[in-house]
Order: sequence, then structure tokens, then C-alpha cells
Amino acid sequence: MIKPQYHQRAIQLREELSDNYFILWIWDETLGAAGKPGQFYEIRAVSAPITTSFAEQTIPKLYKPVSIYDNQGGRIGFMIKKVGPGTVALSRLHAGDTLEIIGPCGNGFPIVIGRRVLLISGGIGYPPLWYLQKEIINHNQIYWMHGGASQGDVFPCDEIWTEDGSIGRKGKVCDGLQAVIDKYKIDTMYSCGPQGLLKAAAEMSIRNNIEHYCSLESYMACGIGVCYGCAVPIGTPENWTYRRVCKDGPVFNAREVRWELL
Amino acid sequence: MGAALDAQFGIRPNACKLLKTKLGKLELKTPLAVASGTFDLENFEFFDPACLGAFVCKTITMEPKKGNPPPRLYETDAGLLNSIGLQNSGLDAFIKEKVPIYNKKLTMPLIVSISGASIAEFCAMLERLECCPEISGYEINVSCPNVENEGIAFGREANTVFHLVEALAKLTSKELCIKLSPNVSDISSIAQAAEEAGASSIALINSLYGMAIDYRNGKSFIKKGIAGYTGCGIKPIALALTYKVAQTVKIPILAMGGIYNWRDALEFIWAGASAIALGTANFINPLAAPELIMGLGEFLLAHNKSINELIGKVRT
Repeated sequence: MIKPQYHQRAIQLREELSDNYFILWIWDETLGAAGKPGQFYEIRAVSAPITTSFAEQTIPKLYKPVSIYDNQGGRIGFMIKKVGPGTVALSRLHAGDTLEIIGPCGNGFPIVIGRRVLLISGGIGYPPLWYLQKEIINHNQIYWMHGGASQGDVFPCDEIWTEDGSIGRKGKVCDGLQAVIDKYKIDTMYSCGPQGLLKAAAEMSIRNNIEHYCSLESYMACGIGVCYGCAVPIGTPENWTYRRVCKDGPVFNAREVRWELL
Repeated sequence: MGAALDAQFGIRPNACKLLKTKLGKLELKTPLAVASGTFDLENFEFFDPACLGAFVCKTITMEPKKGNPPPRLYETDAGLLNSIGLQNSGLDAFIKEKVPIYNKKLTMPLIVSISGASIAEFCAMLERLECCPEISGYEINVSCPNVENEGIAFGREANTVFHLVEALAKLTSKELCIKLSPNVSDISSIAQAAEEAGASSIALINSLYGMAIDYRNGKSFIKKGIAGYTGCGIKPIALALTYKVAQTVKIPILAMGGIYNWRDALEFIWAGASAIALGTANFINPLAAPELIMGLGEFLLAHNKSINELIGKVRT
């Protein structure tokens, strides 16, 4: 596996999804060959060089961890939701602008073969599962549930849930989880989304004795395992340690995440 | 090593001479170090290590330390809050696993940062580390704001600092650098106590106390509430304290606190720093270190001055 490196790449294409979601596409065959589903990049809009920051009256900020949404033939997509200043800055970029990227970071999802797989995502947890399902679809049966606050937060999948009922079923995506597990005899789960969703899905998978890998989100500074700022409690209830989402994760076995401590 | 730094300056290798500096007992090829806990071997994927004059590792403690509960980070308008809590795998693992790797990979002096819960524990750690010839010096962390009963508990009182440093100085002939906290009433008296007790250099500043709250619901962004505040927002404070301590002690100062680029670095050198360290900047700009040394080298060449000719020459 190649170690995270620093690059500047031009944005090839910008794609609008809904009010708050967009995709930035870059083109790089080397990076494309290196990236795996579940891995992420630390990305940032290159504004002024850091050395002229004072003159430009901007304060340089941290990179934002963004998972790989799609990666095919050197075409790498970052699907992004506007949530704070960093992602809003990214939302102002267009084709031709430069993106600063560090990566690929972290470990990807373990890949399975011959399973009945359930993907479950919420909001901006959608992108890494999109890349994952493209990689495993030929060797597994997949059912994908996705939930969001409203119709602007949902994307193509098998079963849609919205909290306001504006599209799909009304409620939280976890409400329908047990029925899907039973109906499709699920034996493997992958999840990504808000902590509440992951925790509920983890409890469900443990109760049903299903293998479950979840991709966690965390505030990050370095993205390469140096600062320990993104750490989460991983292990057994008696014996756990704080492990880095950026380097030891972002994918963890849901059974090992100490949800009660998060 | 020298060759690599030359290469970075292309046709102007003279810059290398001008960049040389001394930190106590250490001769540094460049005045640039890294702040403990913000930089490790992973960063060398981004640039040639030759621009670094010294390498300061993440603070280690006698026993493995779990660290603080998450969330541990929050980025403010001007700088970063962190509450890591000195997570590390302890002295034994450090000596067994990390030191050999550092020995193999590092081309510059290794300064090991340590924190202890008592003077006896600090001494015991230093004695163990003295058995590693790969180590060039120690940074005594008496200033971490994120752990209780150690770290900053030692750095608040001049008297305690004196007794600690006196005990440590007897145990080593290597570089002994005391890292001070800005969260004290009189940093000069503490620096003076360290100097009198036998410290060979001072590092300052560690992070300030800081906090951030979500105004919408009153929830602290950091689990422990109060965190350490670093980055560009603390630069004027760090600069003032560097200046203040430089007026008081004769031993060299390794200054840090919001340094992002070569212009920031020069300010600290004018104020009295013999060397500077990049901390938060390593997160903000992965190429901060080589860019800083290039900029500083060009400045020194243009003015035909060495670092030594600038240290402490601030005019008011």
C-alpha cells in the first residue's frame, strides 16, 4: 500500500447533486491505481499560497478528510456536503481550479466474496459505499439502504428513508433494518454515516451475529497518523485503546468500536 | 545531508552556512525543528528531511497513556484546539520500537520529549534513555495543558522547575531543553530557575488554554472542555514571551507558537530565538518546513547575514 503523499491536481469536472451536495472530479492514473474503497483523501481548496496568506487576508485552514466516492480508470471523485467553512470553500471551486490533496489515507473496507451484503448509509455517509458497491457487486448480492433528513440528502439505492417523509419511507433508516436483515438473510454489513446511525446498526449486527464494518468520521488535523487528534476507542469492553481514525481506520469492525464511550 | 540541503538551494549553497545555529550543546544545520506531537516520520513522505535542523518526537511518559476522550480537536477562526492528553505507548515501547526506527531514518539530531508525574519518575525515564546513544537531547515537557498532575503541574512554580532540572542535569551531559508553558504568571522567573539549575536551552511556548462552544446548543466542541490552543492566533503571545525570556536568560531559546512561514520565523529570531519549531503549520501546510527554510535562506543571502547575527537584535 502506498503511503499518503502531497499533490496538487486540477479539478476536471464539478457536478451538482443537490443544494448541499456536489462532486469534484480529478484525473490521476497513479492515484487511481492506489486508492481502495473506504480510503480517503485530505483535501483543501488551494487559495493563496501560505506564504502570502497575510497579504491576502486569509487564514490558512486545515485539510478536510473526504472519502473516495468513485475511482475508475484514473478518474477520482470526491462527493462533498457543505457543512462548515472548509467544505463551503471547496464548494466554491470549479473545473480548472486546483485542489490540494494528501492521500490516499487510511485502510479501506475488507472485500468479501459470495455474501449477502447490506450497505447502510446516512447523509454524507453515501460516497464510500458507492465506490465499495462498484468493487464488490460482481461477487456478492447487495441490498443498499440509505437515509437522510430530507429529499436533498438521499441518493440512488434500493431503499430510501427520510426523516421528513419527503421521499421514500418516513423515519430513520435503522427503523427498517431488522426487516431487511430477515428478508434478505444478510450475513455482511457495511455502514457509513452519522454516529447515531452507526451505533444503532452496530447493535443490530451484533444481535443478529452479522459481520459488520463501519467507516467512522472524525475531526482530523494531520490525516497521516501523527497527531492522534482523531482517535476513537477500539477494542473489547475490558481492553480498549484510542486508535486513529486516519491511520488505523477509518474502517473498523463495528463490534470493536466502544460506542458507549463515544 | 549537507549535500541535500545544498541541492535545495540550487546555485546558492552559501545559504547553508548562513542557516547554521546552535541550540545549547547541539550544532544545528538549520534553525528549524518541529514541535512535539505535530510531526513524525510520515511527514517525510512530503519533503526532503534535510531542511530540518532537529527532530523532536511526540512526548513519551513512563507508562503507556490512553489519552483524552474524543472529540479532541476543533479548528477555531485563528488556530487549533487540541486535547490529545499525551497518548503514547510508554517508555519501554519507545525504546524498543521507535528509537531503532528513528536511528535508521533520521539524519538530524533526535530530541526526545518526556513528561513525568514526579521528579523521581522524570529521573528514572532520563536514566533509561541515557542508554540510547542515538538520542542527542531531551525536551522536558513541564507544560502540557491537557494532562492533570503532571505536565503543566511542574511548570507553574519556579521552585519546582529548579529542583526538577537540577536533578536531571546531574544525569545527562546531552542537550537538556526545558519546555515552558505560557499559562503561568511569570515565565521569566521559571526560565531563570531552569537556567540556574543547569538547563542548556529553553523551548517555548507550549499551547495556551483554549475552549470553543457550539453557540446553538451550548455543547463544548472538545470533550474535556478546556483544550490546548495553538496556531496563528497565539503567535503574538509566543513572540512576546520569547522576547521576555530572551531578556532574562543566556541559554538559547527554541521558539514556537503560531509560526507558519519564514517571515514568522524571522520575527522570533529577531526576538531572541536561536531556533524555531513548526507545530500546527505542519497540519495546515505539509510543505511548511521546506518552504520556511527556502524563504529564510533567501532572506539571509539577500542581506548577507547569518542567523547568529540576527538573534535577539530586535529594535524597539
